[in-house]
Amino acid sequence: MKKILLKTESLSKSFSSGGVLQHVLKNIDLELYEGDFTVIMGASGAGKSTLLYALSGMDTPTLGRITFGGEVISDYNPDELAVFRRRHCGFVFQQIYLIDGMSLMDNVLAAGLLVNKDRKALAERAGELFRAVNIPEETWHKFPTQISGGEAQRAGIVRGLINSPEILYADEPTGALNSRTGLQVLDTLTEFNRRGQSVVMVTHDMRSARRGNRILYLKDGVILGECSLGAYEHGDVKRHEKLSAFLTEMGW
Amino acid sequence: MRKKYLLIILWILIPFFAEAALLAAFMRTGRTGGGFLQDTVAVNEIARTVEAHWGDLEEPIFQENCPFAYDFTVLDREGNLLWKSAEGLSESINAAISHRDTILDVARDGATVGKVIIHNGSEEDYEARKRNLAMALLLVFLLQAAVLLGYTAWIYYRLIRPFRRLKGFAERVAGGNLDVPLQMDRHNLFGAFTESFDIMRSELRKARLAEAQANAAKKELVAKLSHDIKTPVASIKAASELGLALSDSDRMRDNYTQIIRKADQINTLITDLFTATLEELQQLTVAPTDISSGELALLLENADYLHRSQIPPIPSCLLHADRLRLQQVLDNLFANSYKYAGTEIVVAITREKCCLAVLIEDFGGGVPDQELPLLKEKFRRGSNVGDREGAGLGLFISDYFMREMGGDLIVENGAGGLRVRVMIPLSRA
Repeated sequence: MKKILLKTESLSKSFSSGGVLQHVLKNIDLELYEGDFTVIMGASGAGKSTLLYALSGMDTPTLGRITFGGEVISDYNPDELAVFRRRHCGFVFQQIYLIDGMSLMDNVLAAGLLVNKDRKALAERAGELFRAVNIPEETWHKFPTQISGGEAQRAGIVRGLINSPEILYADEPTGALNSRTGLQVLDTLTEFNRRGQSVVMVTHDMRSARRGNRILYLKDGVILGECSLGAYEHGDVKRHEKLSAFLTEMGW
Repeated sequence: MRKKYLLIILWILIPFFAEAALLAAFMRTGRTGGGFLQDTVAVNEIARTVEAHWGDLEEPIFQENCPFAYDFTVLDREGNLLWKSAEGLSESINAAISHRDTILDVARDGATVGKVIIHNGSEEDYEARKRNLAMALLLVFLLQAAVLLGYTAWIYYRLIRPFRRLKGFAERVAGGNLDVPLQMDRHNLFGAFTESFDIMRSELRKARLAEAQANAAKKELVAKLSHDIKTPVASIKAASELGLALSDSDRMRDNYTQIIRKADQINTLITDLFTATLEELQQLTVAPTDISSGELALLLENADYLHRSQIPPIPSCLLHADRLRLQQVLDNLFANSYKYAGTEIVVAITREKCCLAVLIEDFGGGVPDQELPLLKEKFRRGSNVGDREGAGLGLFISDYFMREMGGDLIVENGAGGLRVRVMIPLSRA
């Protein structure tokens, strides 16, 4: 039995546009487990990103409850949510959002210093993480404009993990990258997950989705189905066929 | 009535008169504060006194708390300060000019020996008046704000709130629910208006009930007639079959066969007559939309107009329901409990897998167990209804509404009385 990290009950999110109420998420009951690589799939506009933002406390749900470690985070105010995100969540986005005027190391440390004031320990951890994502030491002090997109996204992952979050949230992390560099980023995520890091990734790309061991399919704000795949092995044909069959069934 | 309106107008006018009076009072106190024209006699007296005592300004007459009408300073010919009656006065000719003080020469033996500067108090006077005026305006504004707040509250309680209630009532009547009376408030302005509304509702309801009863009577007649018709038709068929068996000519056999076929047709038509009674239900449309579970509190509050239940905390979720029809269902359930049980009502709301379950239970003893499955049928009423009026349609229609929404209505006997569970479906795609 896996440990439940985060749980939602009747999670709903509505937006009002032009006086019309749009229900983007409807009564989502979901449990996220420790150590899982959970992938949220679905067509554009299905509510994938909205769900990710609600789960990670970047947005508050309109209705329903979200519980994280016994705390009801859907009742938090914006300040409490900000503290919650710093301590418990890591983020990787399609747009990497590194600060251009700071070196990679400083970008990572800036995120770390919000939680931990021990600069030396932080720099050590950052170094470990940089090595783990295959960014050589001479690159650490380069600026974001001097490196490739793939390297930037891997630095983004380092920044997301600097505070040892319980969950790393990734919103289309390979969306802006070409095939080869995207693969490196996916390998990085898979490797961290293998070491025990819980990851929640939103994607509409099947190649990315293949990395997860639990695939949720979202359609019109509802989880239409889910598929359990087991740990990722490179070149596992059976696994790939199972996922394809699942997605076909979901009307992908 | 005319007296009442006069009173209202008076109440509106009183605060304004009070404000006007307040302003006038302040204007008057301002006027008594003294002008800034100096009294020439007093000014001259000061000058003469200084002239008379020139040279010994140390005298007690100057040392005592200035016995003169105005504060002043005395300078010698070179402009040095010789004496002053208070702090903060002009101590040079230049300062005196810029402060618009009165400057007088002190002459002795025909020669000017110094100057007396008599303090001009107009500035302090002006400041004091300004303060007074600001205070008066502030008071008037506060009074005005209080009056406005009072009126807003009054309008809300006397006009807007009863009107809103009236609106909800009209919506329900429009939706076909005639069982919930309009609570009348004799004190609000259109009490009589609401009363006539409620009379309208009860008349409509009576007419509805009479119509339903007439319908039921008609149906009974149809049932009886069809039964009565079936018997002779069966006899005709039997006789014709006998005739068919006994006849020896082809023509006769054809005739008998024709009679048997027609008798069968009559039988089919009569059976159709029975099944054709459901069609009127199709006119009740149910259009569910996504609504927040929080709205349920208002619907329950509306339905329980005698306040016999406590609304429990409602699990927050998104429901798929028709607000109007759901209100009708709840109205019906509460009205039933009022009518047949008349006890406290327990409401509990729980989130189930597929839906939100609203449990409504009373302590009126319920109905015999064997009648439970029949309660939701058309024109069915429990055997223990006594002489309380009703058409036996409420639960039937409620059940129909809930099914149309994709939910369910479950009727069972609880510990102390009837327990109804309204299963409202959750919004799913």
